[in-house]
Amino acid sequence: MYCIKCGVRLADTEKKCPLCGTTVYHPEMAREAAEPLYPEKRMPTTASGRKVFCGAIIILFMFPLVLTFLSDIWPDGQIDWFGFVAGGIVLAYLTFAFPVWFEKPNPVILVPCNFAAYIAYILYVCLATGGSWFFSVALPVSLGAAAITCTLVSLLYCLKGKGRLYIIGGTIIAIGALMLMIEWLIVKEFSVPFVGWSLYPLITLALFGGLLIYLAMNRVAREKIERKLFF
Amino acid sequence: MTKKTPKLIRWVRLDNAAKIYPAARKRNWSNIYRQSVTLREEVDKTVLASALEMNVKRFPTIAARLRKGLFWFYLQQVDAAPEIRDEYSYPLVYMSKAEMRKCAFRVIVYKKRIAVEFFHSLTDGNGAMVFLKNLVAEYLEQKYGISIPYENGILDRREEPREEEMEDCFPKNAGPVPASRRDTDAWHMYGTPQKDGFLHMTCFCLSVADALDVAHRYNATLTVFMTAVMMMALLRLQNEMVPQIKQQKPVKVLIPINLRHLFPARTLRNFAMYTIPEADPRLGEYTLEEIIEIIRHKMGAEFTAKHMRSVIATNVNDEKNPLVRLIPLPLKNLVMKAIFNSVGEKKACLTLSNIGRIEVPAVMQPYIERFDFVLGVQAAAPYNCGMLSYGDTVYLSFIRNIEEPALERHFFEVLHALGLPVTVESNRNER
Repeated sequence: MYCIKCGVRLADTEKKCPLCGTTVYHPEMAREAAEPLYPEKRMPTTASGRKVFCGAIIILFMFPLVLTFLSDIWPDGQIDWFGFVAGGIVLAYLTFAFPVWFEKPNPVILVPCNFAAYIAYILYVCLATGGSWFFSVALPVSLGAAAITCTLVSLLYCLKGKGRLYIIGGTIIAIGALMLMIEWLIVKEFSVPFVGWSLYPLITLALFGGLLIYLAMNRVAREKIERKLFF
Repeated sequence: MTKKTPKLIRWVRLDNAAKIYPAARKRNWSNIYRQSVTLREEVDKTVLASALEMNVKRFPTIAARLRKGLFWFYLQQVDAAPEIRDEYSYPLVYMSKAEMRKCAFRVIVYKKRIAVEFFHSLTDGNGAMVFLKNLVAEYLEQKYGISIPYENGILDRREEPREEEMEDCFPKNAGPVPASRRDTDAWHMYGTPQKDGFLHMTCFCLSVADALDVAHRYNATLTVFMTAVMMMALLRLQNEMVPQIKQQKPVKVLIPINLRHLFPARTLRNFAMYTIPEADPRLGEYTLEEIIEIIRHKMGAEFTAKHMRSVIATNVNDEKNPLVRLIPLPLKNLVMKAIFNSVGEKKACLTLSNIGRIEVPAVMQPYIERFDFVLGVQAAAPYNCGMLSYGDTVYLSFIRNIEEPALERHFFEVLHALGLPVTVESNRNER
């Protein structure tokens, strides 16, 4: 068979002319079925540049780590504040850079892991500063924040975007409730009077969250809002 | 209790030509090439694995892995034959450093085809063909029970490897005076890069008799003739891509030369040099006769033992320099890489490597349909071309990592104008 455009003779393996891309076709000539020269659509899993990129990020994070370590240890030969900085850098790495290692990072696993790291860091700060507020305030607040965030992420990830308004509305109301819990814990731990500041965000967030849930339930109202607010 | 004698691990220094390749490697490029044989029946992988095991022992400098010393890379024989792989949609898939550390060659089977892909530090096209022929010979003997005589590059696979096969022939053939490396830069082709790493392979099949007939009309050998056709295609392509003549650059094709034809050598390691004929389009239009004349004169002047000795001396002197030898490998790599990037591939548009007529013992011929030779693309240029002839067919395999088959089209047009019928095949499929 010859290419009708460039005139080159084509092997029976060719479906398109390799020189001009024209589809091989002849209305009156049947072609013998030939084995393709190479298997179709069998591509190697190429090693992407991800590893190199991740390695470069580690080096980038190592730089301030080493610098602050030297700055801390240089004057008196003792480590004073390096732990706080190091913890912060590690947390920043875990939050922003660590997920890059994965081709498809799973937030349902990564977010709880990150919260575990944050809680460990807060515990370190509490112990290093001789505080006693970790178990009474920091841990319940952190666990509350972790529970809300993990639930939000898991529902969004697992339901693949279905019921977004319900989930986000519920989360906003839960954040309001967390505010109330924070004030209550502060009053209890630090013996300050209850002034009720947490009620303001609670009411605002509950109204906004409730509105989202209402919109999720009411299609007509939702479409009306969409019409008014589209951009 | 008797003490077990530790197994001798064979290792060799890289030969003079091979030293640049490990240093020149990039994240997505390594200097590899493929030689393959297509049989008349589907390949039996189990038998091939057994034949490969035999071949690996017989050719310890080719069946090797690339290791790092403090000052130089070296080759160490592999402990066992590598696993036979399946073919991908394109040849010469990137060979990583980690892979080379394990084994610097691959054996790939696809239906009736056995392909071997070599990292260039192991051997040149000639040594690779000996390896492939012996692998096929051993396979055919085991599969069909035939007896193949030791001729046309077939060796006794049961004997120990010979010293002369593992020799680095460059130092002993270096001349007293080094040649200059100075040369002009060539035009570099460009196009739309293929994003997914896919390499386009386009094979031109021509009748040997027809090609020789036309070549002889121009008083040229097949290599000279095909190089001239390639240069003509490159000139036309440059005219198309760079219409202003003043901005054009010389068109140059690198032709590897098998030094075994000039020097008494039986080595199976790298022993090749090159010549680079050139046509400068700024001087005016060229006819095919003129280009053939340029190539013939260039090859006539340089394809001599005296000239090659001086070129070898240039490279060997660098390697022998005590200062160079004492520099640790990582630093050496940096320097060699910088030299390769700034000089290495700027001197030619592409390589056209012809490993010549492939001959096998008569008893093997009924089992073999064809041979192929595919070069990997250059590090910074998108094309390369390998060529051989088997039986009554010349196989010219273009490889490219850009989308446009512009050079192949011009190459075909030149051949077509000369009245040479060509059949084209590719790995394009339904991409």
